[in-house]
Amino acid sequence: MSETIEKAKIKEAVKRRKLETYTPVKPEVQLGFVHNNVDCIGCRACEIACKDKNGLAPGPRFRRVQYIEGGTYPNVYVYKVNMSCNHCAEPACLPTCPTGAIFKRKQDGIVDIDSTLCIGCRRCEAACPFGAPQFDPVDNLVKKCNLCVDEIEAGRKPYCVMACMMRVLDIGPIEEIWDAELETPAIGPEEKVVRQVKNMANIELTKPSIGFVPHSKGRVK
Amino acid sequence: MSSKNRYEFLNERLNLSRRSFLKTTAVGSAVLTAGGLVELKTAKQARAFAYEPYPKDDQLQTVVTSCAHNCGSRHMLVAHKWKDVVVRLSTDDGRYQRDGYFGKDDRVEPQLRACLRGRSYRQRLYSAERLLYPMLRVGERGEGRFKRVSWDEALDFVVEKMNHIKNTYGPTALLDQSYAGASFGVLHKSDQIEGLLARFLGMFSCRTSSWSVPSYQGTTASSRWTFGQTEDGNEDDAFAYCKLLIMWGWNPAYTFHGGNTFMYMRKAKQNGCKFVVVDPQYTDSAAAYDAWWIPIRPNTDAAMLAGMAHYIFTNNLQDQDFINRFCQGMDAGTMPVWAQQQGMENFKDYILGKYDGEPKTPEWAARICGVAAEDIKKLADMYANTKPAALKASWAAGRNAYGEQYNRMAAAVQTMTGNVGKLGGSAEGVGKVWHAEAVAYPYDQYSNIWFASIKSDRWAHCVLNYPNVKREEIGLWQRDDATDGQIPNIKGIFWQGSDWFNQLTNINKEIAAIKKLELVVCMDSTITPSGLWADVLLPVATHFERHDVALPWYKGHYYIHRPKVIQPMGESKTDFQIFTELAYRISPVFGRDFNPKASRDYWHIDDNVDETYLRDWWNNRVMPHQGVDMSWEEFKQRGVYKFKFPRPLVAFQDQIEKGIPFKTPSGKIEILSSQLALIKDWKKTMYGYEIPAIPKWIEPWESLISPKTAKFPFHLISPHPRWRTHSIFNNCGWLRETYEQEVTLNASDAKRLGIKQGDIVEVWNDRGRVVVPVYVTERCMPSVAVLHEGVWMDLDENGVDRAGNPDFLTLDEPSPAGAFAYNTVLCNIAKTDLEHRPGWDKLATSRAHVFRRDL
Ligand code: SF4
Ligand code: SF4
Ligand code: SF4
Repeated sequence: MSETIEKAKIKEAVKRRKLETYTPVKPEVQLGFVHNNVDCIGCRACEIACKDKNGLAPGPRFRRVQYIEGGTYPNVYVYKVNMSCNHCAEPACLPTCPTGAIFKRKQDGIVDIDSTLCIGCRRCEAACPFGAPQFDPVDNLVKKCNLCVDEIEAGRKPYCVMACMMRVLDIGPIEEIWDAELETPAIGPEEKVVRQVKNMANIELTKPSIGFVPHSKGRVK
Repeated sequence: MSSKNRYEFLNERLNLSRRSFLKTTAVGSAVLTAGGLVELKTAKQARAFAYEPYPKDDQLQTVVTSCAHNCGSRHMLVAHKWKDVVVRLSTDDGRYQRDGYFGKDDRVEPQLRACLRGRSYRQRLYSAERLLYPMLRVGERGEGRFKRVSWDEALDFVVEKMNHIKNTYGPTALLDQSYAGASFGVLHKSDQIEGLLARFLGMFSCRTSSWSVPSYQGTTASSRWTFGQTEDGNEDDAFAYCKLLIMWGWNPAYTFHGGNTFMYMRKAKQNGCKFVVVDPQYTDSAAAYDAWWIPIRPNTDAAMLAGMAHYIFTNNLQDQDFINRFCQGMDAGTMPVWAQQQGMENFKDYILGKYDGEPKTPEWAARICGVAAEDIKKLADMYANTKPAALKASWAAGRNAYGEQYNRMAAAVQTMTGNVGKLGGSAEGVGKVWHAEAVAYPYDQYSNIWFASIKSDRWAHCVLNYPNVKREEIGLWQRDDATDGQIPNIKGIFWQGSDWFNQLTNINKEIAAIKKLELVVCMDSTITPSGLWADVLLPVATHFERHDVALPWYKGHYYIHRPKVIQPMGESKTDFQIFTELAYRISPVFGRDFNPKASRDYWHIDDNVDETYLRDWWNNRVMPHQGVDMSWEEFKQRGVYKFKFPRPLVAFQDQIEKGIPFKTPSGKIEILSSQLALIKDWKKTMYGYEIPAIPKWIEPWESLISPKTAKFPFHLISPHPRWRTHSIFNNCGWLRETYEQEVTLNASDAKRLGIKQGDIVEVWNDRGRVVVPVYVTERCMPSVAVLHEGVWMDLDENGVDRAGNPDFLTLDEPSPAGAFAYNTVLCNIAKTDLEHRPGWDKLATSRAHVFRRDL
């Protein structure tokens, strides 16, 4: 690897590669998540609700609540970044799949894996910059968050959202989330939403459908 | 709900403005097969739903029930089942209550959303450690070798032993160590003082009871002495009105006590409330509320509070009107005549140093508690000048040597600033809000019969030293008959919904003591670490497998129906069935009196009897006494009843606003306790040792200011974890991958000892040794080590606990008021080659990404 990374060149290459492989579906509405990094107590009720709903054994974790801590005693800080699959506008996982098991829904932008087509090759796992696809060694399949599409279709919200003890995790049309226009308890009064926080892969890679109310130490310029 | 309605809701909730989306969603499956690939065409079209076959919620049967264990809360669980199997659980989403709809979630009737433990209940229900059949020990006690036996054999074994023990050793020979673990409900209740076991052993006329409550005895003592009752708490939503909230050793992000406490605190934050955390750790609560963190040395809280009181008095910031109207003994002017005549001390003059020549200045306090005097003054100033301000004095700092003094000192400071009985203030020690109707089991003259009663963690001391035990050593409760002062001759233990062997203090001493017993019975739904030390294991049906009603005992006002969601697993029976059958086997009269609504068939069919108990309780107690207007039938159909109140409930509001007397002997807030002031012979009380009549700082027997630090330089605290309830759930894989049993150390301490994150260390003192990994952080005060309680002990051949249970290091020396000294522990720490045994398959987890340093 060369010492100096030529960012612009890499960006260009990424763009070219995408164009060569596929044109992402443009959903009619893109649904996505919003998470409040500060007010989240890090309890992981959302994680466990997800595991229960999806019948996962210990191991694969569709939703992952990360703790980020810093500072020096006694001036310390802690915040949480909670992520599952970001149902990206340009999913990196999708084109890597040799069987075409991964698809993005036109009506709401949900990225899902068809388990009847997945051969468990784990390419998508490696491709996703956010660690969303999770290998299930029992079923020999890669699985991931499908935004609880069955609940959405039943007129409800995903299990993780409905589990959140603090009401700081929600879903909605992603544009409204980014504009902090969505009416949701996840976004407090006067709070702004950002697309990128520290300790998270560059959003230019896949354009993830997620917004955060960031911690002051988690902001990026 | 019609489908049209449903999509209107969806529209509202998702705040959708684009009609096209609605249209697409409404046609549902018609468009589901539209895959996402445009250019990469595949042979088969991708399907819309990933995990086929997958039973969707609406294809399953929905049953409302609740979570059930000893956490304090009682959140809703909704079982989605297929035939007799619970396929998944969800929680309250606003639909189930009267006038409910999906998404309803407001101040008056918030959703009762379960925490991570509740959500993992299926793993507990269907765990490999589920106890499904009666078992009898075949190896040595504690060896963990059992054989499966029939119920007949198991019950006859117990009855025979019980009769023998009672006839040979008398009415104190069986120790009741029931606790609130597995069975918290109004009918199938395991309870330390007045549960089913208490009634059973009491009626059998052989029972020594355990009176001190491990969680909070210092706190209950303080609240009773000071305010005359343990219901000193405000309802959850009252927190939203605070302008300043001091969380003293309180971490509601971990200990979910109220249904929605932390959520209302978030409202307070959005309203501009300032938060302070006084704690050796920068907790998740500190983080979420962006609190000013004041690290404090463990077990020195009373000193810091005294320093604050000194600042408030000397700057005349106290609410003198409030003191004059409502207090006894706060200062010279509020001393009762009888106390003046006897020359008793008042609180203010104690603080000012009039009696001992030692003013309790912030500087004095700083030397003890390690908090800078400037910070003590600043906090005192903030607290005295912000109205209303809540000081929430948690139980944790009371689980200490002289823990009751910390709680009383906090109550004095809450009172002197006039924050008692005010919305946005707080008198909380215990924090309990009201006294609900909570007993549907037979409750009569037999409910709490005992022939001796001791401090709960002195049983091993009593057994090992019998008969050379002094009454004060075991905190013997006084009796008003000829048996007063008789030391119990304990020969057997009953555990019902209790893992006390793993949870009380100084386990090595318990191990020595249990070998001297003749009968150890464990009734549980899980094979617990205590169970491994039993002679007989009786499988108990979980709350999913029996009919009951749940309520929170602490905060939140609601009842949740708990039907028999599934049939009892294996051969398990309910506690009530087991006691009834045992009683019948002892004598038919006992059987009938023990369970008056049942016949002996109850062993086989419990449904009608349980229904009768519950319905009678609902109709005769809940409806008339608590103003509930929902019929039993409607309640059963909905599954939940939520009380509605026009304003947030605040403890002592009536006392302050309407002048109703407090329930203390004087009717005042007793900073000088009448009860304590009048005691002459301490040995004859259950306390055993003197307790000052006013709150005072008393140096604990172990702390960072003690000379013992030369040998044991770390102060170990063992807070409640959030991923277990005490020892419950320790075996659940989903929860195990969210945490590790590890000792938390400050980075500078770790560096000095050459320890890195994840290294395995031995933590030890004169009482025991444990082996655990280390979590190195800046979030913890130097010289403090944190090891969460409740992990399942796992001893090696040398008696070293490889699982890391801190109670191998704690001392079985309770505080005079009965507070367990769980957090009064010095220890040492060093790297070790010994292996840590986490007790489950660590390789199966993905924990690596959970903690990240941002430097
Ligand atoms: S987060 Fe990862 S798995 Fe999810 S859509 Fe984006 S690239 Fe794919
Ligand atoms: S939306 Fe559903 S699948 Fe995705 S993280 Fe939440 S609970 Fe899990
Ligand atoms: S349930 Fe809510 S508060 Fe808890 S970790 Fe998840 S997002 Fe955070």
